[in-house]
Amino acid sequence: MTTTAPEQGFARPRRSLVPAWALQTAIWALVVALILGPLLPLVYASLRDRPLYEAGGAFTVEPYSELFGDSLFWHAWLNTLGFAALTTLMAVTGGALVAILCTRTDLAGRKTFSRLILLPILLPSLGMVLGWVVVWGPGGYLTTMFSDRLHLPTLAIDTIPGMALVEASRLLPIAFLTCQAALTRADSSLEDAARSAGARPLRVLTSVTVPMLRPALLNAATLIFTLSIAALGIPLLLGTSNNIVFVSSYLYNTWTSAAAPDPASVSAGAVMMLAVATLLLIVRNRLLGSEARFVSIGGKSGRQALLRLRGWRWPLAGFLAFYLTVTTLVPVLGLAAMSFVVVLTPLVAPWQLATWDHWQVLLHDPTFRNSIENSAVIAVVGAVLTTALIAVATLVAHRSRFPLRRTLPFVILYPRATPGIIVGIGFFWAFLLTGAVGDYFRGSIWGIMLAFCVRNLPLAYVVMYPTLARIGEELDRAGRAAGAGWWETSRKIVLPLLKPAIFASFVLLFVEILNDYDPAVFLVKPGTEVMGATMLSQFIQGMVGPVSALAMVQVVITVVVLGVGAKVFRIGVTGGDHDA
Amino acid sequence: MPEIKVENLVKQFGDQRALDDVAFSVEDGELFTLLGPSGCGKSTTLMSLAGFQTPEAGRIAIGDDTFFDASRRIAVPAEQRNLGIVFQSYAVWPHMTVFENLAFPLKVRKLKRGAIRTRVGEVLELVEMTQYERRYPHQLSGGQQQRVALARALVYSPSVLLLDEPFSNLDAKLRLRARTWVKELQHRLGLTTIFVTHDQDEALSMSDRVAVMSAGEVQQIGTPEAIYRAPANRFVADFVGRVNLIEGVIASGDGPRVVMDVAGSHHRLSLNGGDEPISGNVTIAVRPEAVALVSADDTTVNGTNTWEATVGAVAFLGDHYEYEVHAGSVSLTVQAGRRVEGDRVKVHIPPEACAVVA
Repeated sequence: MTTTAPEQGFARPRRSLVPAWALQTAIWALVVALILGPLLPLVYASLRDRPLYEAGGAFTVEPYSELFGDSLFWHAWLNTLGFAALTTLMAVTGGALVAILCTRTDLAGRKTFSRLILLPILLPSLGMVLGWVVVWGPGGYLTTMFSDRLHLPTLAIDTIPGMALVEASRLLPIAFLTCQAALTRADSSLEDAARSAGARPLRVLTSVTVPMLRPALLNAATLIFTLSIAALGIPLLLGTSNNIVFVSSYLYNTWTSAAAPDPASVSAGAVMMLAVATLLLIVRNRLLGSEARFVSIGGKSGRQALLRLRGWRWPLAGFLAFYLTVTTLVPVLGLAAMSFVVVLTPLVAPWQLATWDHWQVLLHDPTFRNSIENSAVIAVVGAVLTTALIAVATLVAHRSRFPLRRTLPFVILYPRATPGIIVGIGFFWAFLLTGAVGDYFRGSIWGIMLAFCVRNLPLAYVVMYPTLARIGEELDRAGRAAGAGWWETSRKIVLPLLKPAIFASFVLLFVEILNDYDPAVFLVKPGTEVMGATMLSQFIQGMVGPVSALAMVQVVITVVVLGVGAKVFRIGVTGGDHDA
Repeated sequence: MPEIKVENLVKQFGDQRALDDVAFSVEDGELFTLLGPSGCGKSTTLMSLAGFQTPEAGRIAIGDDTFFDASRRIAVPAEQRNLGIVFQSYAVWPHMTVFENLAFPLKVRKLKRGAIRTRVGEVLELVEMTQYERRYPHQLSGGQQQRVALARALVYSPSVLLLDEPFSNLDAKLRLRARTWVKELQHRLGLTTIFVTHDQDEALSMSDRVAVMSAGEVQQIGTPEAIYRAPANRFVADFVGRVNLIEGVIASGDGPRVVMDVAGSHHRLSLNGGDEPISGNVTIAVRPEAVALVSADDTTVNGTNTWEATVGAVAFLGDHYEYEVHAGSVSLTVQAGRRVEGDRVKVHIPPEACAVVA
């Protein structure tokens, strides 16, 4: 053949300057350092007889014995476990029911409901709690209206069952997503077989569908339990009036108490919480392993609804709409209303109390203004950096021959079991122990950003890994065979194919980091405020109006970004693993 | 120059031996096929050559380049081996056009833009895909994607071409055409090629030489004719083509004529003796089409290796008939060009058609 190829072939591709193993080691080390970095100092701090910022100090188990000797601490655990159990029960039952209604029945508007039901987990969690307080709390707008005006009973959300209801309404989407994924994945011929055998639809539902969901339910339950143990906003905002203390608020109060701050025992408490959360993660991993055995391959999507609801089609849809109104729409509307009036009360017509003052505060008060600016910067930069790091880390974990690659998924998923306040305290000590570098992080917003990023990075992995798994490995092998090294193959072939997941990860991380708050409460300083932490501290000081306005800022940004993201990048939150 | 030498490859997956002392060499310009059922180690061998698997022991060299040597701890990374590979899934990058797919290996080799244009154009012409260069893979048919995959493997003039079951995703008609086309192209370019397949027709029709593999071991290496006519063992006889296996004991085994007592019957079978004397228990392989079948009263066929038999079943298969016949306790599958009337028949097994396989 006539050819431009030289006799000896083309020049061999040159080896890249940085060998792949060096790059992979660096990425691995960075991820491991970011995630374990804050935890080791925490354990260290809990075993010293004085705070790390004081000179000297020796090994001791004093903080632990001191903590274990405090009956209030055990009481807090009791409250926390009761709260978490109730939350789990409500969220899992509700989530499973809605998932069955939306995937296996002809419920009116089931497509719309399966989207709307996700809203609570995407909306800013602290803002939503504030919304509940404003509307349904003691002295809240609707509470007052119902009890004082109409003399109707209302649920007291400042009790443990009430707080569990608030938390369950936020976490219900996790159970919904897990069950929905299991139901779509499950082979529907199993159900068809039961019908052929003569079972009526409802019988099929109870005898086949629900038992098939068991692994998904257990999986969702452990995750929801872990997340609710870590709840901080709810006990701080709802528990104080009735003096209900959770472990998280116990630690927060001990840390911030001006009279006798006790960092060592707070660290000890945090270590104990971490141990519980880690144990739950291990249990969950076991469950996930057994779930894989339950998965029956096949299952066509877009199948006919199994159960005809007939007369119940609309009433059940009405009930779901009512539920969403009460738990999501009304709190958001309450926040919006609160931000425009002096006092939110049914006793006086709202237009007589209308005011712009709260929004003025946002613009002029340095704390509020800084918070908005800092949060925006942190969310953008943090989402970009985290997405970038986790994208390449996911490649190292699943598309390289790096010897320690199999450890990465476990490490990356670990922060989801780590309560936010633990990440916060951990970074606080880590910055203290790392000299000038730590000082820089401690004094700037980047320290808070780091804590937020570490806490939310499992989300990036959870979004990207399923997409990567669908990209055939022969595609990158073809790149290697063509002469490109690991990094060039990743950059030119795998990462471009991963683009949709990368964008989805960015959008979701942006929202999560923007609305995150609990790691920051231990890290904020004047000048480095972020929205969530400011809301918490200002609300406790009674600045309900401006705080509501700030929460509205979060809600609006969240809704707009998610809406635009969904349109532009066609992000659909599907599959069973979104947790925030 | 590119003589491929594979020596004593060993690869273990858990407690399973994927490769057990695999060794072969491939001449310059040869089309060499690794044939075997799935799980026999053929793909592992190919991926070890390509650098995507690392065996525990052995040596792989192409020309003067040692790509892998376990004892000297040499393992050249895949991207440094300069081999062209066509994968089973084609692995045409979906986010790049046909042109970009072909340009990628050249960009990696830092060619100038103009040179890339010319070379890609040339290779696209070679695979007759010039008018599709701006298309994306999803706009191409399976056969066209395969040509792109092949063009991408050829564009940088690799020293060796590796084909991993490249036809398994094509439908039957297209597969036949692609076979001839690839063989013709390979011959024209004179490119040393290693081809992996589980399809014996592909292996026999395309290869210069075939290595039959099973359970991680090479069973036999030879030309397609040799493999078919003189299978080295039972597995090869059974796997390549269809075969009748007849067991027995050697009655007299010296010289050019060997006589075997067929086990469990009074029949005797004469065979052509090989270079080495044989004795004891043996198994003979006879191809169904090598056996002659005539009606019982036919007198033209007589003498040695002619047995009387009864017809068990007969099937019409378009271009031939297939008979299941029983000569005493020996059952034979026979392929006949025409129908033979009656239940009583005679079969004749030519001595030269008998291969000793065990």
